Amino acid sequence: MGNDRYNVVIVGAGPAGSTAALLLAQNNLSVALIERGKKPGSKNMFGGSIYRKPTAKIIPGFWKEAPLERTIITDELWLMDRTSAVKAGFTGLKFNEEPYNKFSAIRSKFDPWFANQAVKAGAKLMTETLAVDLVYEKIGLLKKKVDGVKLDNGEVIYADVVLLAEGASANLTQKAGLRGSIEASSLTLYVKEELALPAKKIESRFNLEPGEGSNIGMIGYPTASVVGKGGLWTNQDSISIIVGGYLNQINSKGVSPYQLLTRFKEHPLIKRLISDAKPIAYKSHIIPKGGYESIPTLYDDGILVAGDAAMMVSGRRGTDIAMLSGLYAAETIAQARAAQDYTAKVLKGYKKRIMDSFFMKSIKKSKNSKQYYKEHPDADFLLTKAANDAAYRFFTVGIEASETKMKKIKDEIFGMQPTKKTLTDLYYGIQDWGIF
Amino acid sequence: MSNFLKAEESPFDYIKIKPDDESHIDIKNRKTCLKACENKPCTYYCPTRVFAWDEESNQIKVSYTRCIECLACPYGCPHNNIEWHFPKGGYGVNYSDQEDLS
Ligand SMILES: Cc1cc2nc3c(=O)[nH]c(=O)nc-3n(C[C@H](O)[C@H](O)[C@H](O)COP(=O)(O)OP(=O)(O)OC[C@H]3O[C@@H](n4cnc5c(N)ncnc54)[C@H](O)[C@@H]3O)c2cc1C
Ligand code: SF4
Ligand code: SF4
Repeated sequence: MGNDRYNVVIVGAGPAGSTAALLLAQNNLSVALIERGKKPGSKNMFGGSIYRKPTAKIIPGFWKEAPLERTIITDELWLMDRTSAVKAGFTGLKFNEEPYNKFSAIRSKFDPWFANQAVKAGAKLMTETLAVDLVYEKIGLLKKKVDGVKLDNGEVIYADVVLLAEGASANLTQKAGLRGSIEASSLTLYVKEELALPAKKIESRFNLEPGEGSNIGMIGYPTASVVGKGGLWTNQDSISIIVGGYLNQINSKGVSPYQLLTRFKEHPLIKRLISDAKPIAYKSHIIPKGGYESIPTLYDDGILVAGDAAMMVSGRRGTDIAMLSGLYAAETIAQARAAQDYTAKVLKGYKKRIMDSFFMKSIKKSKNSKQYYKEHPDADFLLTKAANDAAYRFFTVGIEASETKMKKIKDEIFGMQPTKKTLTDLYYGIQDWGIF
Repeated sequence: MSNFLKAEESPFDYIKIKPDDESHIDIKNRKTCLKACENKPCTYYCPTRVFAWDEESNQIKVSYTRCIECLACPYGCPHNNIEWHFPKGGYGVNYSDQEDLS
């Protein structure tokens, strides 16, 4: 391998990078896709769900071939207290028919398949390869344009344009001066365990038919007063369980993520779902939650940033936004090639596409929710406590008239804190959890 | 909260890591840990407990071979005192080929 030249070098074979690689290779551009892991996905984890609609935009009918776990038909949100949970949820059997809604998946299986679609279209995938720096060429007297990347073995790969799809670390994005440093208060840290359990047991415990899956999100108890979440996904023959929250709070409260996970698994309502299941994997990753104000400069001469590296995460969504930003990057690069101009002048079209997207609107909106949690870090805790106390009262069979009981419950909830705050807690609790 | 290492079952039984010969994690200034950092959060935020306070030498001990690259470093250290970079290509944690675990 010498010092090669490509039309495009893409750093990172996650959903953002592989999407762009696939689309650009289909457009007959020469593409190098660089991945530091042994395979794509070797370094990656998520909850997680793959959403059908955005993914099918990139690969129509992908569910027929992709290594997915189960078709999610049940989605629940649990407000958890010590011995109880108030549950909201939906089961839709239509979600088990084409074209489906979403799927549970494991990234170490999904990512290599996805990257391989780009390879089949003609992209060159280089694994076990770390990009360590950018190289530049001079354009004009004062300006310089990105001209490729330097690898950890010292080689340089040249390109008309470099797409950084390097995920949350965003090292090169920072080196390129496109993103400032980020704070612990803009990151959440999650740990995950995958627990093996025979498919039949999963199906009977979660009330599913073969192939059907369930996803539960939890707030309250799981995070031990850190603002964050717990989550559970059913896979084909394992269960994924995650828990985590804001890194600055993990620090200030002296909480260890592994201990959180152990404690979560011991909860009586979780314990029964995972009993006899044997841990087979332990993983961890951060999520960049800086939100709108932390979105970096998305482009410069000869360079674009997509996916997590660009802090494009909203609620529970991330892979789909990464894919869509990869798609917009690919469209912009194709235009730049047609114009034979890879400078910021043409690449700025990428920013416009991103800013007009539906996901940018929801990233913008979540600004309020982030501010709210800063001011009321106890909101989820208070909300779950109140809801569970009320539910215990409501469902307890007593001898008083139901109107009297309802009035008492109402007084209790409204007495706990100013009414407005209870309702706001609920609103942001659900909004931050994201779409159902 | 209590010590990760004291837990009976260790998640390391099912984590696959190919460690590099050199550490990809360094403490920039050991004095800062000793003098300026009261709670030593690196000893608990790290999900695999790479950092531990060594009473004998009065400094942070870094077991870089346990790192699963969650990327919380360097952001977790309130004093920006951790120099963290990626392991070389192909080294470090590997979530693929999970079935190869012995
Ligand atoms: C706990 C958790 C739960 C989540 N749950 C969900 C969910 O249910 N649904 C959902 O849609 N999203 C979820 N997300 C978010 C989602 O995982 C991310 O948004 C998504 O992975 C971003 O894709 P990406 O391509 O931008 O980055 P990544 O997937 O992080 O890919 C970046 C790739 O680049 C490689 N790389 C980085 N730097 C270099 C370099 N210098 N040289 C070579 N290679 C490099 C990395 O190894 C990696 O493979 C979750 C995230 C977490 C942490
Ligand atoms: S958190 Fe930072 S300063 Fe504190 S002990 Fe750890 S490395 Fe040292
Ligand atoms: S990156 Fe994560 S796993 Fe590695 S040392 Fe830092 S906190 Fe621990």
